[in-house]
This record gives sequence, structure tokens and C-alpha cells, in this order.
Amino acid sequence: MRIQKLSMLAVCTALVLAACAAPPATAPTSAPAAPAATTAPEAAATEAPAEAATEAPATDATTAPAAGAASTIVIAKAEDTVSLDPGRAFEFVPGIVNKANYQTLVTFPPENASEIKPLLAEKWEISADSKVYTFTLVTTAKFSDGTPLTAKDVVFSWNRLKNIKGNPSSLSGNIASVAAPDDATVILTLINADPSTLALLVNNAFSVVNSEAVKKQGGTDAADADTTDKAEQWLNGHSEGSGPYILEKWEPKVETILVRNPNYWGTPAPTERIVIRNVEQVATQKLQLEAGEVDVAMDLTADQVPSLKSNPAVSVYEATGNVIFFAYMNADKTIGGPVSDPKVQQAIRLAIDYEGIKALVGGKAATPASVIPIGFFGAYGEDKALKRDVEGAKKLLAEAGFEKGFEVDLSYPDFDNSGFSFSTGAQKIQADLAEVGITANLKGSEVGVWLEAYRQGQLPFSLSLWGPDFSDPGNYLEFMPEKKVGLRANWKNDNSSKDVQDLRDKALVETNPDERAKLFGQIQDYFQQNGPWVPFVQSGVQVGLSAGLKGFVYNSQWNVDVALLSK
Amino acid sequence: MIDITDTFDTSDTSDTSGTSDTSDTSDTSYPNPVSLFRFLIRRLLLTIPILFGITLLSFVIARAVPSDPIVANLGQRAMSDPKIVAAFRAEWGLDKPPHEQYLTYIGNLLQGNLGKSIKSRRPVIEDLKAFLPATIELAASSILVGILMGVTLGVISAVNRNRWVDHIARFISLIGVSLPVFWLALVLLFVFYSRLGWVAGPGRLDPGMIAPPRLTGLMTIDATLAGQWSTLGNALSHLILPSITLGVFTAGLITRVTRSAMLEVLGNDYIRTARAKGLHERMVILKHAFRNALVPVVTVIGFSFANLLAGTVLTEKIFSWPGIGSYAFQASTTLDFQAIMGVSLLIAVIFIATNLVVDLLYFVLDPRMRKT
Repeated sequence: MRIQKLSMLAVCTALVLAACAAPPATAPTSAPAAPAATTAPEAAATEAPAEAATEAPATDATTAPAAGAASTIVIAKAEDTVSLDPGRAFEFVPGIVNKANYQTLVTFPPENASEIKPLLAEKWEISADSKVYTFTLVTTAKFSDGTPLTAKDVVFSWNRLKNIKGNPSSLSGNIASVAAPDDATVILTLINADPSTLALLVNNAFSVVNSEAVKKQGGTDAADADTTDKAEQWLNGHSEGSGPYILEKWEPKVETILVRNPNYWGTPAPTERIVIRNVEQVATQKLQLEAGEVDVAMDLTADQVPSLKSNPAVSVYEATGNVIFFAYMNADKTIGGPVSDPKVQQAIRLAIDYEGIKALVGGKAATPASVIPIGFFGAYGEDKALKRDVEGAKKLLAEAGFEKGFEVDLSYPDFDNSGFSFSTGAQKIQADLAEVGITANLKGSEVGVWLEAYRQGQLPFSLSLWGPDFSDPGNYLEFMPEKKVGLRANWKNDNSSKDVQDLRDKALVETNPDERAKLFGQIQDYFQQNGPWVPFVQSGVQVGLSAGLKGFVYNSQWNVDVALLSK
Repeated sequence: MIDITDTFDTSDTSDTSGTSDTSDTSDTSYPNPVSLFRFLIRRLLLTIPILFGITLLSFVIARAVPSDPIVANLGQRAMSDPKIVAAFRAEWGLDKPPHEQYLTYIGNLLQGNLGKSIKSRRPVIEDLKAFLPATIELAASSILVGILMGVTLGVISAVNRNRWVDHIARFISLIGVSLPVFWLALVLLFVFYSRLGWVAGPGRLDPGMIAPPRLTGLMTIDATLAGQWSTLGNALSHLILPSITLGVFTAGLITRVTRSAMLEVLGNDYIRTARAKGLHERMVILKHAFRNALVPVVTVIGFSFANLLAGTVLTEKIFSWPGIGSYAFQASTTLDFQAIMGVSLLIAVIFIATNLVVDLLYFVLDPRMRKT
């Protein structure tokens, strides 16, 4: 009996201990299992400046330095990988992985998308009608197996992307043909002139793969590649690119491991191994970062930041993200009812408490001046954002004949994205609208169900989000009348003004940067006064880093370039 | 998830002592093989229509959702490209009428082919093979925690009925069943992993730890077979917190059922007889009472084990455990039809198999079963 009593007491004690949320006063004495060898050699750590890895790399360094071979950096991120095949991958983790394993002809600077920089192409020319791009490739680039990278690999990769008809193939829809007159020249011919073309080509989907190696594994760029290409399985386990890293293994839902490419044609990356661990819960990411088990916690939320800032063993990297959260009002009277009235639309824009929503999201979230994210080419800054004006909103409602207000259903997808909770946001907007007399009935639904109604333009008044397909304001022309997002609000040529249609038609073809900036300025001015959009917050990004980690830069296109990381 | 707490009446039943069946079943003869065989055959035949029913039901429910896998799996840009949408529908057979899709599925199923997952782009059977072992390992260690804690507390509590030991044990079991799993998981991680550093944290192995060659997929077994003792230690350390998280809930259930079953048995005449014969109290409790109380306890253990295998999404997510629960969750949110049906079938098989094992255990535990 005594033994039984004792064992029960032990169980009680364990439970009480477990339930005790207060941490003991002392920090853990043994940080569990820090990854082996944490010191990157001085030389490697200092000679890996951001520029070296993103500019066309130097040609003399052909082998990875022997020193620093054991250095490992562990990144915690919720894995969303469907495929690592550059022709099929379209998610965040593959974006990080393929940025390290593959290269594109052109790229962005490490920290933003403000200009186009050379990578595999050393220069390019654009024809007078903006439909033909002629790229000259660097001649020193080679794949991880040592084969030289030539124009025929570019032709294969881009045709394969187009013909696979996978998710990212939509980015190649405007390609008429790709040709390789010689080993160092690629001629890209477009169907329509598109000022966003170079920004599009930065996307990992346009990565150049080793065509011989991929063909050997069943890959093809033929017109029927969607049914005949068999290389995906191979590419999920092996990379066939020219980037600073190669794929060692991908174990779905567990981890993706990259090792330094011994045949890299540029300056070798400072860290030997990069491990991207699947950690789905942000709370778990934070705990692992604090315990020293991971070096980077990618998905932190703003409310986790204050407690991390007081911890000397970690630092927090904050930046403004690129996801725009917006409300929209259906322009079709039979669906939208009162909210299809332009005066009501402007009243709603003035009724929203932008500062309050920004505070809800926290961190470096911002109030955008329009649907184009702050930081993009031509985008207005936060200083030009709309401010709340309750009286102005009430006046406009009265002018529209709604001095007593009205009732409307406000739909939203019930999930969280980039630190924004749609249900919390919807409640805040409901409260803001109540102050001007509008009664919004909240209608939250499961994402898939909501998306279906959204796509078909059936929702009278809804919240939504837009994360760019590519980092160029041209992507936001989708919000124009008769364009993809515009149609979700049933915003068409017959219920929009001639002014906005003219702006749309000009912006779709203008390639001169100064003229483009002017046009996008006019578009943003127009959207502040007219149209169905109420962009209310731009996401923030919080990344937790171990104190010794160097080189972390957030880029909205690829999240992080792991070739810059060292510790 | 089936809430098995509703299935059992955990009220104190000892007051009815004497009115219930009072035969002592501590008998050690073995079941009649012929009746056992017939029982097995009948049960296995019954399984076939059940499994077909499951496929039909999950097919209809998944299709009834007012959404489209296109929406869940293609980006906004790709969705508006008719060529990409057509290629997607053709690749996944969504261009055919539903009845044809179902018949194709059944045809493939009869050949042992569970189809391909839209989300992982791999055969569903490969996915199940990849994710099930992690779940089995966690469920087995959790049920072990549950049985050790639950049965011990249940017996102690019944023997000391209405004394302080009993009250504490009942309080613990109440906490066990009512604590939210995600809360307990996070608190355990915070205290024992993050603050004290006593045990390993999320995942099945530390980053950088070399996984043993995959034979069974069970990390502990594979590490043992490969003789990688430090990996084995690490894998066991990683199992501790998630097993306790899930085990505490199970223990709560088992405690309550064990206690009430023991109380019922302890009030019987044959217990009084055993005591009157002068048997040692430990002998009376373990041999005469506990064995006879086992039938409901085995039932609740069986159900708990099946539940642990069928899905523990929250625990898996918090502990980054690559198990079947997260896979099922992802499949259902992305309308990954073949994966949904694969998981439904697997869970059905698990429940049927567990039930069968429990029923077979009744044969062993209760001689009266063998005569029917």
C-alpha cells in the first residue's frame, strides 16, 4: 500500500509542477543540444557580404573553403512545400530552398524589390515595341555537377515551366517563344508588351535547371509536358541548379537540408549546412529559439516580440511585409445594394479606424496609401495614407440618402494570415462602421468556401487579402475594372469611369520608369477617392534570430537568402 | 473525434452490490478454438461492407462541401488561366462526373491503389507509410502512460474509497480529462524543455541528430536495430512530453472507469468469501477483484488507443510531430479527395481492428463469453 501511495504522490507532484506556469528564476543551465560547431570561421563569415552573393558572382572561387565545413544553421518555419521542382513549386518554403539551389537571369537587391539586378544574365536589351528581350548570359556559370550553364538550359527551363501547366506556369502565360541563337544569348518574345516582365523573371519559377540532367530523369519541355514530364520526383530529392547550395534531402513535414554546393561558380556561402525544420506552431518556434535549438524562427507574431526583446540570447528582426488586407464593396447594385453607391464607398473608406487596425496587427505593420504595398516601385508611403474622418463619412452617407444608415452582410474568410486575424479585424471594422450608422452583420466562413464565393463575385461586402505574385506595381493592375480582382467586385467597364479605364490601359503597356511612376501615382490618387477598395493594413514581419546570427535580411520575394547567413 | 467520455457511466456503482452478476471469473482456461474461429470469420466479413460504406460516405461528404479543389490548390493567378485549370482537373480526374470518379476510385482500391494526393503529389499509400509510424509510436507510448497512471490511480482510489487518497485521485483524473490538450502541451514544453532543459523538445530527433536507416519508421525501434544508442536516447527523450500530454487525458478516463469497475466488483460476495478465507488483501485485490474489473477497463483502453491513432492534430502540431493527424487535417482543408478517403479508410480499419482485439480479449478475460 505504501508503494501505491508513494507513486500516486509522485504523480501529483509531477502534475503540480507541470501546471506551474511560472518559470524558475534561473535560466536553463544546459541549453539542449545546440547544433554542432557553432563557429563559422572569421574569414568565411566576413567575406560573405550581401552584394557578393546576389550580384553576378566572382569567377575565380570554384571550390568551397575547407574551413567552416561543420557550420550549420537551423531555421524553423511551418512547411508548406508541395513540390521542390522549380516548374511546380509556388509556396514559401520552396521559395527559400530554390533561391539557394537555383538561379534566375535577373534578381532584386537583398532587402527589397526596388530595382532589377543582373545574375545569370550580365546584360539585356529590350526592343522598341517592348516585346523582345535579348539577354546575354555570363559565360562562367555552371551547374552543381560541373556542367556549364548555357542558353539552351534557359530555353528548356522556361518552356518546361510553361508546358507543365502547374501553379507557377501562370507567370509564363505571356511568353510567345524563347530561343537560343548561341550559348550565351537568350531571346524572349512576348505575346503582349508587359512592363513587369523583368520583375516576373526574378521569380524562382524562372530558375534555370540543368537541362541534360533533368531530361535524364524523365523531364521534358514538350507541349504535352503536363502529362509526360516525370522529373518531379527526382527534383524533390535532388537539385539540378547553379545556386550556392544543393539539396541534400527533403523529408516532408520534417525538414529540408541544404549543403554548400562544392562546384559553385561564385563566392561560396559562409555556412556549410542549412536545415529548415517544419515547426507549425509559432509558440513552438519561439520556445525552440529561446532554448537555442534553432537559429531563426521565421513565423513569429507581433505579440511574441516584447517578451523576446528582453532576452539577450535572441534578437528580433522586424520589417514591413507585402500582404495587403482590404475590404471591397460589390459594384453590382443587385449584389452590393447600398455599398455599390460611390458615395457610400467613400464614406466607408473614411469610417475605418486605420490606426486602430494597425495597432491590432502590431509590429511593423503599416497603413498603405492604396492597394500597392509600401516599398514597391512607385508606391506611396504611409504619410499619404487615408485618415479616419467620422463626420465626413456621415455627411457622405446623408448625401447618398442613408442618414439613418443601413444593414449589410460583411463576409470574411475565417483564418489568420501574416499576423492578421480576419475574425478580429472584421469585428473591429464592424465597430468602426457602427459609429457612422452602418450595421455590418459578420459572415465568417471556412477559407475554401469563402474563396469560391469571392471568385464568383457573389459577395456584397467582404474582407480579403492580396499577396503579390511578383514584386512589381504592375501586379496591382489586377484591381482595375474588368481585371481579375476587379471582377470579384463586379467592377467592369460599364460601371466604372472612363478615367480609370484610361489609366489602366496606359499602365498596362508603359515601360518608361518615369512615366510608370507618374501613372501609378495617378492610380493611387484615384483609388483614395473612388472605386470599390478599402485597403486597411499592410502586414508586418517578425523574425526571431539567435544572438550570434549574422546576415539576415528579409526580402518579400524569397523571404530569406540563406547564402547570406552565418554565425 | 469521438468523445468516449460519453460512452461510459462513471458514477459510483458500488451501492448496488449484490444485485449485479456476482460470479467470479478468475478462471484461466482458454477459449474454444472453433467458436473463436467462427467469431473471427464473421467479424472479418462484416468489415467489408463497413469499409465500402466508409468510402461512399467520405466521398459524398467531401464532394458536398460548397468549394472546389481548384480554389484550395491553385493560386489566384493560376486559377484564372483556363489551360492550367483544365490540366489540373485532368491530372486529378476531376473532369469526370462524380459517379465515374467514385467507380474509378473503387476499381483502383480493389487493386490496392489508394490514388495520389493532390497536396503532396505522391501516392496516398506512400504518405500513409511515411506518417503513420510516427503516430503509432506516439500513440503506443501515450497509451502506456495512460494505462500506468490510470489503472494505478483507479485501483488505489477504489480500494481507498471516500478517503482522502480517493478524493485526490478523482481530482487528478478530473483534471486529466478536462485540461485542454494544447494548453498542457505548451506548459509542459515551457517548463520541462525551455526552462528546465530536462527533456528534448519538439520533433522526433534533435536537429543534426542522424536518423537511423528507416526499417519500421518507428524511431525507437529503428535506432535499436541500428545500434544507434544515442539516437535511441534522443528519440525517447523527444517522446516524453507528447506522451505525457496525451497520456494524461487517457489516464483520466481509465482512472474513472477502473475505479467504478473495481468498486462494483469489490462489493460482491466472492470478494467477501475470499477475504473470509483469510487471503492476503493484495491477493484479493489483484487476483480476485482487479481481474474481474478488467472488461470495461480493456474496452476504454481499446477506444482510447484507437482515438490516439486516429488523430491528435493539436498535439502533433505543437510538438512538430509528423503524424497522420496533421496529414488528415491538411487533406480535409485542401479538399485533397484521395487523401481524405485514404485516411478515412485507415481510421476505419484502426477502429475495426481495435474493436476486434478488445472483443478477443473479452474471450480471454471472461469465461462466460466463451459459452455463448
